[in-house]
Amino acid sequence: MTNSLNDMRHAKSLIFIGSNAAEAHPISMQHILHAKEVNNAPIIVVDPRFTKLAAKASDFVRIRPGTDAAFMLGLINVIIQNGWQDKEFIETRVAGYEEMAVVAADYTPEAVEEITGIPASETVRIAKILATNRPTSLTWCMGGTQHHIGSSITRTFCILQLVLGNMGKSGGGTNIFRGHDNVQGATDMCVLSHSLPAYYGLSDGSWKHWCRVWDVDYDWMVSRFKEKKWMNAKGFTLSRWYEGVLQEEKIEQYTPLKAVIQWGCGSNSNSQYHRVKRALDMLDLYVIIDPFPTMAAAACESDNVYLLPCSSQYETSGSVTSTSRQIQWRHKIVDPIAGCKDDYEIMAELVKRLGFADKFYKNIKQVPEDITLELGRGSLTIGYNGQTPDRIKKHMANWHTFDIETLQAKGGPCDGEYYGMPWPCWTTEHPGTPILYDISKEVTKGGLPFRNRFGLEKKYDSSGRTENQLAAVGVANPGCEVQGGYPEFKDVVPGTNWKTDLSQKTLKEALRRGMAPFGNARARCVVWTFPDQVPIHREPLHTPRPDLIEKYPTYEDKPNHYRVHTRYKSEQKPDLVKEFPLVLTTGRMVEHMGGGAETRSNKYLSELQPEMYAEVNPMLANNMGIRDGEEIWIESPEGGKIRVKAKLTERVDEKTIFMPYHFGGVLMGRSLAGNYPKGHEPYVIGEAANVCTNYGYDIITQIQATKDGLCKVSKA
Amino acid sequence: MKRYILSACLLMTVAAGLAFAGTHEQVQLLSAFGPEPSTAAFKEFNAAFTGDWQQYGQTFTNLQTTLFGKIFLYVITLLPAALLLHFIAIGAKSFSHTGKEILFFNAFCRFIHWLAALFFTLLVITGLMVVFGKYLGGGALVSMGRSIHIVSALIFSGTAVIMLLIWIKDMLPMPHDIAWLFIMGGYLSKQKKPVPAGKFNAGQKMWFWVATAGGGVMAVTGYILFTFQYPTDTLRLSAIIHSFLGAGLIGFFIIHLYMSLFAIKGSIKSMITGYKPEEEVRILHSKYKG
Amino acid sequence: MARVKFLCDVDRCIDCGGCVVACKEGHHIPVGVNRRRVITINQGKPGEKSMSVSCMHCADAPCIAVCPVDAIYQREDGIVLVSKKTCIGCGYCFMACPFGAPQFPSDKVFGARGAMDKCTFCAGGPADTFSEEEKNLYGQNRIAEGKVPLCAGMCATKALMAGDADQVSKIYSERVFKRGSGSNAWGWDKAYNKK
Repeated sequence: MTNSLNDMRHAKSLIFIGSNAAEAHPISMQHILHAKEVNNAPIIVVDPRFTKLAAKASDFVRIRPGTDAAFMLGLINVIIQNGWQDKEFIETRVAGYEEMAVVAADYTPEAVEEITGIPASETVRIAKILATNRPTSLTWCMGGTQHHIGSSITRTFCILQLVLGNMGKSGGGTNIFRGHDNVQGATDMCVLSHSLPAYYGLSDGSWKHWCRVWDVDYDWMVSRFKEKKWMNAKGFTLSRWYEGVLQEEKIEQYTPLKAVIQWGCGSNSNSQYHRVKRALDMLDLYVIIDPFPTMAAAACESDNVYLLPCSSQYETSGSVTSTSRQIQWRHKIVDPIAGCKDDYEIMAELVKRLGFADKFYKNIKQVPEDITLELGRGSLTIGYNGQTPDRIKKHMANWHTFDIETLQAKGGPCDGEYYGMPWPCWTTEHPGTPILYDISKEVTKGGLPFRNRFGLEKKYDSSGRTENQLAAVGVANPGCEVQGGYPEFKDVVPGTNWKTDLSQKTLKEALRRGMAPFGNARARCVVWTFPDQVPIHREPLHTPRPDLIEKYPTYEDKPNHYRVHTRYKSEQKPDLVKEFPLVLTTGRMVEHMGGGAETRSNKYLSELQPEMYAEVNPMLANNMGIRDGEEIWIESPEGGKIRVKAKLTERVDEKTIFMPYHFGGVLMGRSLAGNYPKGHEPYVIGEAANVCTNYGYDIITQIQATKDGLCKVSKA
Repeated sequence: MKRYILSACLLMTVAAGLAFAGTHEQVQLLSAFGPEPSTAAFKEFNAAFTGDWQQYGQTFTNLQTTLFGKIFLYVITLLPAALLLHFIAIGAKSFSHTGKEILFFNAFCRFIHWLAALFFTLLVITGLMVVFGKYLGGGALVSMGRSIHIVSALIFSGTAVIMLLIWIKDMLPMPHDIAWLFIMGGYLSKQKKPVPAGKFNAGQKMWFWVATAGGGVMAVTGYILFTFQYPTDTLRLSAIIHSFLGAGLIGFFIIHLYMSLFAIKGSIKSMITGYKPEEEVRILHSKYKG
Repeated sequence: MARVKFLCDVDRCIDCGGCVVACKEGHHIPVGVNRRRVITINQGKPGEKSMSVSCMHCADAPCIAVCPVDAIYQREDGIVLVSKKTCIGCGYCFMACPFGAPQFPSDKVFGARGAMDKCTFCAGGPADTFSEEEKNLYGQNRIAEGKVPLCAGMCATKALMAGDADQVSKIYSERVFKRGSGSNAWGWDKAYNKK
């Protein structure tokens, strides 16, 4: 989120695309409804499904799954054609605008209607609402990202906000709601295969930086790897790790995967789950660390699986980062119940047995405070260094002194600081940055320009135009020494830059001069390292509209995509829709969470949602002779097949099937209840929707395409 | 989405005050000002919550608070008082027990009758315990009464079915029953004139059919109230019927009791031994043929 | 203490069920007994609205009027409570209630209904305040602790409000007042083209 949940109260209009906040983020709704009630802000919901959020919306637009980019480009096009764009903002703070506008021009309202199914007049109407109700807060969630063009789709969202000039403004911004508590923190720590913590990447410089932070010898770190090249190679991702076991697609690693540890991961959120299950059985070692047995604990049917019961959030303490980038302290309420250990303890035991506890705990004497301190010391890129445990706890203790509208403390011990010190919080005196890229405030008081990250100048491939990537003259935060763009800080301490200077002299020097350590540049609409330099629409791999493939084809196959061969063009088969005529999309329900291991083990939540179901439009159901509550089979092109109850509802249209993905414990019609540890089977079990989600992975991030697959339905 | 101040105000008043019967006027007054999307929704909410409260819930509440208690009170006080007057004014009919006696009821009949009598009495007592529970302080005692009520209902239903089977032939209405009714079975007179009646007189038949049919309805409504697995309006209707009919049955029960214990001397004995004096049969069951 | 009331703002309720689960977890209520429920109408269609409802603690409460054993009583602050030791589980209160509030956990003879259970406004019951008996029979007594009921405290969107009637209606009036401008004011969309 560039802004915060609370800041959404200031929005004059809100657009949600691929987000069902009312079910997935109920707490956010108080701020959203506040904007609606107090500002008369229209709430526009763009979704294939009439969600519970749509029930609270002023405008609902039903879109074909996977066509969000086309709709966004259509909006951008209409806005530009009508001259509604924020011209000053674009001229001074945006790069690559003209190149983007050329691409967007192809997406006329009529073309958008052809692709998305949204009437041309609706695209124009929505564009006008956005243009006349600024600032707009734009929110997307997994509905926007889980497509094979997910990275392009999210970029169109950002570009729309740039075109409207809504970035860096209170009430505006791109506000991506994170799925659970501390997902933002986990992302910031890059619990991912392609980056070291705080988005440093995997370059040698990054490794050296973190080795300095950890106070371990870089050469020792190198020695831990089979060969040095693997240090810099992206690993398997969560969405496709099992290919490293199955090896049904070519993998780029010297050995197949042999052992997997899943720590707080409900693996039934993996698409093509029936294939995941096969991989689980083939592993030499599979460890699940979770407070409740996940579906994988039952699905893994060889004796290679170990369950380590860990504590819940109330039985441990530490810092967590909220979706609004705020860091909070979680205090321990009770001791872990018998037989459980907290995560720190499990990690300590593991490290001890692996034999490098001395190095691991070099800076960590007091758990968890020293962990927070260490990670903050190293995470300079995102300004995690100002949030010391003491400051975090002080904020928690004085949270009544913070204003609900601005998140700023009025008086009291935290006077002037923003709640949770939203990162970047550059120094221990910095109040935190409540809104990213907001040039109306001083940098020392929470203001920021756009980051200078991609050089100072660029000649675009498509137009041949060369553009200065720094912000225009006159664009700067108040109190800034340079009135205009400036590059990032380096060599304040020779040989370092603002990201690697652990003495933090660089940061302090920048702040002293009223400048942002990362420079002052333009936000770019063109990303020259991506296959689509300007995002465009591409038909989903498994599309219900094969007639559009020719005009909007997918990418070429990608051989080494996070160590796995990934099919695009060869997977996009026009005939598939004949056998699998319905679009399959998945999502959340408010009562359950993730893979559901925890919530399905709660009797009251289970009572409220006791059964797995698939939403079917009554028209489709009547045509197929399916009655409400009747069992149906849903089959995916990959051979996944599940038996679920049909729930007849007009939430979905007659071409779409929706399933919640929280259920587990039943696999392709077979109950796995007996496989749970005795006495620990969840109150409710059900088919995992992800058995039926299709092949398809984002070209950049490899996120799985669970929202726009195909399926077929038959009566059970 | 459009909302209006008035509809919102209505929400406040309606949500907080639907229970007060007195707010109905306000609702009408406000709704005259224009279209309210929310109030339309309230009607649907009400239906979803507890069915048609206005029609059935309120009726039940009114009847339960104002009428049922009184009816039961009257039935168990005024009716015995009237019968007492009858007893004083007319007195009991007595027939000679010295003469020949006729076997009127065989052992099985008597056994079933007494079984039914026992559990019907229990039903009446425990039913009244629930009706007047507040004077007993509620709690365990009345709860036990309710439990006995349920058990008794099951057993009585069984005996009632058997009685229906063994007596149905004699209980069918006959033309002379009308004559019996005209002279009120001769109970208003002290004379011993033959009364037109077969094995059972019209009064007994009425009691039989009321007890059987009424008992059936009581059983069905009682079952509904016991399981509680029915729409709320069905429950309300069942409770209303169960209460009204219960009061009526208790009335008939008291009359039956009076007849057997007081109005005809020795009639209780015939239900014990099975024999009736020939004279009684000749007078009160003049059309009885062996 | 002044009169307490519940108010559920249908324009804010998002059918998350947080109130229901908070209530059940907080008072350890058996599965199947719902002191509070959320009802949604027009599921999946425009006009979908949700409402959270429990005992409304009515003035002149019908349940009190119909109870044959006088098990139900009203406190001075308007909270309607039931004495589970007096209640015989006859179910009349359920029939009289316009909100379907009374609940009957089954127990004893043939699974017959046990004593009635319903929302206590988190005010415990007739047993001694903070006693074990009160906790077991009626749940927490948050009112005596000076806290709001669990359901309202949990409500994500502040749709459900509970407490002093004057305060509740003041908050709600302010909300309505704020909604009552622009597109929310009657006729403004047509008359002044105001969205």
